[in-house]
Amino acid sequence: MRVTDLSSQTQFLAAVQALQTNVSVTQNQLSSGLAFTDPSQDPVAAGEVNNLNTALSQSQQYQTNANAAQSSLGTEDNTLSQVETQLQNLRDLVLQANSGTNTAQNLSSLASQAVQIQSGLLALANTQDGNGQYIFAGYATQTQPFDQTATGATYAGNQGQQMVQIAAGQTVAVGDSGDAVFNQIKTGNGTFTVTAAAANTGTGVVGATTVADPAAYNGGTYAVTFGAGGTYNVTNAANAVVSTGTYTDGATIAFDGLQVTLSGTPAAGDAFTVAPSTNQSLFTSVQDIVNALQSPTGTATQSTQLGNSLSAGLNNLDQALSQIENVRAGVGGRVDTVTTALSVAGSQQTQLQSSIASLQGVDYATAITNLDSENTALTAALQAYTVTQGLTLFKYL
Amino acid sequence: MSDVFGISLSALQAFQQALAVTSNNIANANTPGYDVETANLTAAVPQSYGQAAIGNGVDVASVSRAFSQTAENQLYSSQSSLGQLNALQTYSSQIDDIVGSTGGGLTTALRSYYGAWSTLASDPSSTASRQAVLSAAQGLAQSFQSTGSQLQNLSNNINTGIAADVNQINSIASSITSLNQQIVVGTAQAGGQAPNTLLDQRDQLVSNLSQLVGVTTTTDADGAMNVFVGNGQPLVLDGYTTQLTTVANPYNATQLEVSTSTDGTNTISGSITTGDLGGLLAARSQVVNPAINQVGQIALALQQNANSLQNSGLDANGNFGANLFSATGPTVSASSNNTDAATAAATITNVGALTADNYVLSYKAGAYSLTDATSGATVALTGAGTAANPLLAASVGLAIVVTPAVPAAGDSFLISPTSQAAGSFAVALTSTSQLAAAGAIVTAAADANTGTATISAGTVTNAANPNLLAAATIAFTSPTTYTINGGAANAYTSGGNIAADGWQVQISGTPATGDVFTVQGNVGGTGDNRNALAAAAAQSQGVLSNGTISVNAAVSGLITGVGSQAQQINTSQTAQTAVNTQAQSAVQSVSGVNLDTEAANLLQWQQAYQAAAQVISTGNSLFTYLLDSINGTYT
Repeated sequence: MRVTDLSSQTQFLAAVQALQTNVSVTQNQLSSGLAFTDPSQDPVAAGEVNNLNTALSQSQQYQTNANAAQSSLGTEDNTLSQVETQLQNLRDLVLQANSGTNTAQNLSSLASQAVQIQSGLLALANTQDGNGQYIFAGYATQTQPFDQTATGATYAGNQGQQMVQIAAGQTVAVGDSGDAVFNQIKTGNGTFTVTAAAANTGTGVVGATTVADPAAYNGGTYAVTFGAGGTYNVTNAANAVVSTGTYTDGATIAFDGLQVTLSGTPAAGDAFTVAPSTNQSLFTSVQDIVNALQSPTGTATQSTQLGNSLSAGLNNLDQALSQIENVRAGVGGRVDTVTTALSVAGSQQTQLQSSIASLQGVDYATAITNLDSENTALTAALQAYTVTQGLTLFKYL
Repeated sequence: MSDVFGISLSALQAFQQALAVTSNNIANANTPGYDVETANLTAAVPQSYGQAAIGNGVDVASVSRAFSQTAENQLYSSQSSLGQLNALQTYSSQIDDIVGSTGGGLTTALRSYYGAWSTLASDPSSTASRQAVLSAAQGLAQSFQSTGSQLQNLSNNINTGIAADVNQINSIASSITSLNQQIVVGTAQAGGQAPNTLLDQRDQLVSNLSQLVGVTTTTDADGAMNVFVGNGQPLVLDGYTTQLTTVANPYNATQLEVSTSTDGTNTISGSITTGDLGGLLAARSQVVNPAINQVGQIALALQQNANSLQNSGLDANGNFGANLFSATGPTVSASSNNTDAATAAATITNVGALTADNYVLSYKAGAYSLTDATSGATVALTGAGTAANPLLAASVGLAIVVTPAVPAAGDSFLISPTSQAAGSFAVALTSTSQLAAAGAIVTAAADANTGTATISAGTVTNAANPNLLAAATIAFTSPTTYTINGGAANAYTSGGNIAADGWQVQISGTPATGDVFTVQGNVGGTGDNRNALAAAAAQSQGVLSNGTISVNAAVSGLITGVGSQAQQINTSQTAQTAVNTQAQSAVQSVSGVNLDTEAANLLQWQQAYQAAAQVISTGNSLFTYLLDSINGTYT
């Protein structure tokens, strides 16, 4: 092939330009630390890096959320532990009042202590977080959820439960509604309640109540009616007699899988109603205790009524305590979930960062080697040009 | 004796001319388009001396240029391909830069936007968090706008480029026509001898032209050259130049097309596929417009998703959320060739089915047809085109209303569902309190319930239902049946959907007779974050391509798509550059000037000249000797 000066010139320039471009690309990689800056240099990796970066920012966001959730759950748990303490104090107080050795003055002082605890509990149920949001109001966090009334407290919140996303596809509740915590507490022993009729004249006081055979209990309502000499019969809602017997002080009356222990001596005509448990607000239960403590205790009948009220109150407090414990156990479980999510997020982020680095980061060893060889090639091309440029016949003319 | 002088003189003259040709070659060693020339010597007609004929010296029969039409044609074609790829590369690399590793800043803006929603979900009543969402939304809108407008600028630059190319093509065509005349006249005057310099100039012009647009040429017997572009449209023919013009696209006045007539009836854009002009047209249809549409598609999907979430939730004031983003949806333009003033409007029925393509709606023979402007595929249509019964293209998520519903036959409309969305993407909300972080409804189980059934938080299925926020009661008339607001009894299945008034809830567990559940408007739900959670979760939710691709994945797809295209064009361009260098070398190999050859020729002619001069000197000596001899005899 005939080589002309013009074509060798253009070819040399094109070759040098290509080599210089290579050197510049490699130089860019080394100075930026990135294997590519334009998607065209590695389209698939560029798209993948974007996906990974999004996953990384999501994971970081989940981490932030999880930290916030931890703090919210911490506030809730702290509040509930104070509620538990207050309830325990109230329980001690009721036990003291129920010991039967109290003067009217003592009872009145216990009553005022109970009122203190009552307002303390209400304040706890109306706890606000650092942002001024009520934590037990469901979604209505700017509405004070509980308001004291003569019979307990009204609830102005709702049953909403705020969830926070702590991982992909994983949300965790960061609170419980006041309704679920304070209002939906079963009365009695959790299955049934025993109530003394208001007109009772004897000294029969309800003691321990248990479900001996859950399968035998059909959830019905019963009336235990005493006759002369401690005889009694138990009738169900349909007025059919399910059990009869003769009662002695402290004896247990059993029927349809239930066991009711009474103490004292019921008079003939006294009656006790056995009914399934229903949900009752903690504040109603507390109000009932306060009312009982404040009621007069001059007569035997009044003492018996106090005893029955306090016994029912104790049952309700035990239910409330177990409810609070259950909620706290739930909160603890969620804290564990959040902690796990946090540690997973941490390792996930490390993983994502190393994936991003391996896709986007430049391999310095390769890049430096490339730069070296590209440099050599460029130098050689320049030298070759100067050598061949001297080769012309005109020099020898 | 006289023949010695005559022969030598002819040699001196011929060698002088040959030396001149060589000098001219050396002088033009670096002239583009110059073809190396050779003086063709021929022996003069001999003189007859009886039995013998003795040569009569040398003549320069012609000066010819080294030229190969095949090599030139190969160069033209490779230059056209390279010109096209250069133009494509210019635009694909610009889009590569605009989209970049961050999708024009979209990826970071999207991360901030969804992150802000997630933060708001952690603290739904916080004004600061609400402000952060609004700011992030504004940042996102800016990213869409700036990406959209940068891409639109490229489209404008293409128009400028097309107009410039057409001007240059016209000017070159005129020059070729005028050179043609000179060549025809010059050839005739020189008795059939080709005017090499003019031919070189003309070939150089054709070569320049081939960089702008692919050309084919033919040469007439008289030496005139005809030049054709596209599918044989004559540019230079029989002494006439056809001027190319730019005309507006019939559907879109902002896009220039190339035509051979000023009224735009003879548009040849479709047949121009190579050269810089072909590259510009291809860059518009294959690189720039698809990118604009793709970004628009992402913008519309995001807008629709965010707005529908807003609309189904409650803002800080307890009102249904207003639209968060606004963006221009499908635009429809009637063809300028339509014979009546019929208009059409398109709306999106299903953003998930939307594509990044444009569509042409035509009315022919009493029926509508819709075709994909990119692939040419037919899209199924139902409906009549009236407002009451619009044309539905369910597979691409569009509804079209034509006014009047029966336009003139042959009317056509271009529907661009996504082209305007990115540039017009904006935040429609002004106040942070308008962000709907809360769900619309709240459910509750009555405290007096004795069963163990629980109710879910509920979802909104139709935010437009006027009774959505009205309190509704689900009462269990038995453990297996329930009524809604005292209506007919329904059978209960644990965990089954219970729906009414635009909401849907699930009740699970064992309810007891008389148990009551309520569903009502979320009054005062400032601590409710359900909608914010949903907005944050939308980051990984499929909203494009029938719910299979998330917004972020679509941006990744855009990055990879644009990158791959640029990479492929870069590769082709590099390869074509090598092909072109080869073609140039081939032409140079035939027609270029090699200085070593010229140096050798110079020596050769110099020595021949010296020899011829020596012959004259020898002849002179002989003559002098003869005269001296005669003189000597005389004296």
